[in-house]
Amino acid sequence: MKNIFQILLIFAALISCQKEIDVDLNDADPKVVIEANYIGTDSLVRVRVTQTSSYFDSNPSPVIDNAEVSIIDQSGTPMDIPSTGNGYYELANYIPNYNTTYTLIVQATDGTNYAAQCFLPSPVQLQPIVEQYFPPGLFSGDGGYVTLIRFNDPADTVNFFGAIQGKNGIWEDSLSSLLVQDDVLTDGNFVERPLFNIIYQSGDTAMMELRSIDERVYNYITQAQGADDPNSAAPGNPTSNWNNDALGYFSAYSYSRQTLVIP
Amino acid sequence: MRFYFLFLSLFLSIGVFGQKYTISGYVKDITNGEDIYGAIIKVKELENVGNKTNAYGFYSITLDQGTYTLIYRSTGFETQEMSVVLNEDQSINIELTVPKDVLLIEEVVISAEKENDNITSAEMNITKFDPKDIETIPVIFGEKDIMKTLQLTPGVKGAGEGNAGFFVRGGGADQNLILLDEAPVYNASHLLGFFSVFNSDAIKDVSLFKSGIPAEYGGRASSVMDVKMRDGNLKKFGMSGGIGLISSRLTLEAPIVKDKGSFILSGRRSYADIFLKASNDPDIRNTTLYFYDLNVKGNYKISEKDRIFLSGYFGRDNFGFSDIFGFNWGNATGTVRWNHVINDKMFSNTSFVYSNFDYEFSVGSGDEGFGVKSSIQDFNLKQDFSYFINTSNTMKFGVNAIHHTFRPGALTGDNDSFNEVILDPRYGVELGAYIQNEQKLGARFSMMYGLRYSGFNLMGEGKSYEFDEKGNTTAINEHDRLESIQYYQGFEPRFSMSYILSETNSIKLGYNRNYQYLHQLSNSTTSSPTDVWVPSSNIVKPQIADQIAIGYYQNLKENMFKTSVEVYYKNLQNQIDYRTGAQTVLNNEVEGELVFGRGFAYGAEFLVEKKKGKLTGWISYTLSRSLRQFDDIDEGSIFPARQDRIHDIAVVLMYKLNEKLSLATSWVYYTGDAVTFPSGKYEVNGEVLPYYTERNGYRMPDYHRIDLGLTWYLKDKNKFTHNLNFSVYNGYARENAFTITFGPDEDDPSKTVATQTALFKIVPSITYNFNLK
Repeated sequence: MKNIFQILLIFAALISCQKEIDVDLNDADPKVVIEANYIGTDSLVRVRVTQTSSYFDSNPSPVIDNAEVSIIDQSGTPMDIPSTGNGYYELANYIPNYNTTYTLIVQATDGTNYAAQCFLPSPVQLQPIVEQYFPPGLFSGDGGYVTLIRFNDPADTVNFFGAIQGKNGIWEDSLSSLLVQDDVLTDGNFVERPLFNIIYQSGDTAMMELRSIDERVYNYITQAQGADDPNSAAPGNPTSNWNNDALGYFSAYSYSRQTLVIP
Repeated sequence: MRFYFLFLSLFLSIGVFGQKYTISGYVKDITNGEDIYGAIIKVKELENVGNKTNAYGFYSITLDQGTYTLIYRSTGFETQEMSVVLNEDQSINIELTVPKDVLLIEEVVISAEKENDNITSAEMNITKFDPKDIETIPVIFGEKDIMKTLQLTPGVKGAGEGNAGFFVRGGGADQNLILLDEAPVYNASHLLGFFSVFNSDAIKDVSLFKSGIPAEYGGRASSVMDVKMRDGNLKKFGMSGGIGLISSRLTLEAPIVKDKGSFILSGRRSYADIFLKASNDPDIRNTTLYFYDLNVKGNYKISEKDRIFLSGYFGRDNFGFSDIFGFNWGNATGTVRWNHVINDKMFSNTSFVYSNFDYEFSVGSGDEGFGVKSSIQDFNLKQDFSYFINTSNTMKFGVNAIHHTFRPGALTGDNDSFNEVILDPRYGVELGAYIQNEQKLGARFSMMYGLRYSGFNLMGEGKSYEFDEKGNTTAINEHDRLESIQYYQGFEPRFSMSYILSETNSIKLGYNRNYQYLHQLSNSTTSSPTDVWVPSSNIVKPQIADQIAIGYYQNLKENMFKTSVEVYYKNLQNQIDYRTGAQTVLNNEVEGELVFGRGFAYGAEFLVEKKKGKLTGWISYTLSRSLRQFDDIDEGSIFPARQDRIHDIAVVLMYKLNEKLSLATSWVYYTGDAVTFPSGKYEVNGEVLPYYTERNGYRMPDYHRIDLGLTWYLKDKNKFTHNLNFSVYNGYARENAFTITFGPDEDDPSKTVATQTALFKIVPSITYNFNLK
């Protein structure tokens, strides 16, 4: 709905103007940022530990390489996740146990322990995707093909989904291109709707990935995607599943994929 | 409790004794028969004895037997005297004339000779406008607008460009009760706030109460804006209208039976979409973009003692882009009124009021389409009495009951992927009862005191929810039809007094307590038609405002200059804010997204006004703060509300060059709104996110703007007057920030930058207005 409003404001914006301005911002004390994903389907845990910096600082975010990072499964067995440099920590071949909860621990050099818990949902099968032609127009630009996401939402369970798209072997996997959806409106239905992130042309290979994610991660992503909206009624940092005021999130998820060569 | 005894003893102190007779009747405008509200009736022989007309032009004065001269006067009319030999009760209806030379162009500067009512009336802090007063003030797109002009007065702040709503003395935009012929208007703006729904041609006058709010009004915490529609010409047919760049309007009025009944029909429609039809692009051609207003009113005098009024307003905005999406919203209100003169001292008004606001939007069409709807609907039954006890006391009392139906949202469509979602409607009954008296104590002292009782009953059928401290639902309770879910009630004392120091200066004091049982939830800081109204419930407590205000008023140079200083302190309980990432749309459990706290606002307002001469206008300056405190926001620290504009200046000048030309300008300046900016950044999934440390810790850049207007009165032909109005909005092309966004630089994503968007540079416009009398 907010988007509709932005479109409406475009009418007004016909005579509006934009410019870069200088804003005097405070420099907050640095905070630890932990971005952690356990991709169950790939048996891979990938963690990145960084820090906040001044808003207009053009250097890359400061990284933390000497933290002790580990993952604990539901039975309490810990596994260390070794550092691979530049703030990254990685653990491969970590076999998933779907529908159980994992805990990630990051011990920073100053002795602070950060912990987050996440439920790993089992994957939901993505049905073969189909394309739909869009003629050239105001919203579709030169026109082209969009692809339809198609899957059966498991009935009577609360599910949270994420979807990303790719083209010709390259995934568009970023915070803003991740489409998240709960099943409040679609519980138990066959869901079929177009995704508009990528417009394909004939001959392109369209790729789609459907993720099953945890509720708290779903909330985090929706809040994070709106975090830079200047008109938000309640601007704030997205609610993280980390304790001790760390920023970022820990997401354990599974996925299923489909590809289609656009005819 | 002692407080209430004080009120009681004040009421009891009103004595009635001696052999007295009563003069009563109506005061009307001779040109069109419209009732004159607030006309003053004085007795020449008795100093400080007098009264004034009520909202329907009715007055009553009770005097000892004798011979008197009555003086009738009202702003904009010639004062009229009338000799009376009083030895029995009698009825005198008076029609006041408009001075001839004023009729043509001095509409801006009309003013009765001896105009110091601002000094002598007990009511304080009322800002009153007649649409004629503001005709030449330049506004955007040349559309004269009473709500925009009110925002140029002290203590009233517009919510900004592209934004509906206004703030009064630090209160929220939903804390203003906007009434159109007694019917609440839930969304008073068109086209995202660039126009108000009030078509000036159909409006008689507007009063804005900022403090000392009379007890007859209730339901909102901060202010009352009472808009009265014109009744229609009782004497002869009239037609007026205007053609502008964005919209045109036409008003017709005529007597049904001369001096007995009349009607008025006023319409306005914008036509930007007509230009879009000329486009080659089918998407643009199939774009809908318009709004319209229709005001209708009729009245008929059934007998000397009974009069019936029927008024209605219908307005709608409609946006659509091909069949990709459609979005429309609007208000519909209706009022049926029966005025009855019970006897020469007692006047009764019975009203039945209907009000509806709804919005609807649709996305796509056919199998893939879906739509969302939401509405709020009121039925209000109201009984008011004016009792003109004697020349020192005028009492008003009454009761009312409003039935509210809230339909917070429904998603429907043929799209098989979506389940239909219909949020549970909620029902409430709001009750009110009040008594108030306006009393003169000697020559210098007058006061108005009253008490209002209000109650709100949230009823089934429906559900109520319980939440834990993080907003997660812990229980859902089902309620049967008409079962009381929650009842709130309270007493609202209202008080204002004035002490006249001399003919030219006075001191006034006001106190009011207001309860508010309806609350508007918004997804964003810019208010929009999709904001949802929710009732008080087991979770949402009524908002309570207490305000105390004191003012000093001084007129200079024989009332040529009116000056005033008012200071106020306002305390707000049970204020509403949102959890981070709150979802207010299509959410049955929306109450879990809310947090509650307190607010307080204080300030000083300065006004210098010049009402007479070639140059008229005013300068207003407000120094104020509006602060909030919530346990769940920034660990309970005090933060500024968005509308915490510390300095707010408005200068309005109107200059009559000659018979043909009149110039006007307005200039505004205010401290930028309080806003939340990041104090750092971090990366998630390769994208930069802002790191926030405190709510509303920063400021938007200061806002200032000049508007210029020129009105050219064209040659009159008999009864036909017409003029051309040229105006320029934002004369020096200031790029005032509409939003400031933070994000990566488009050219170099490794850098983060702040980008300001300004909506308008210079907007010139031209409007042609005509009037056939």
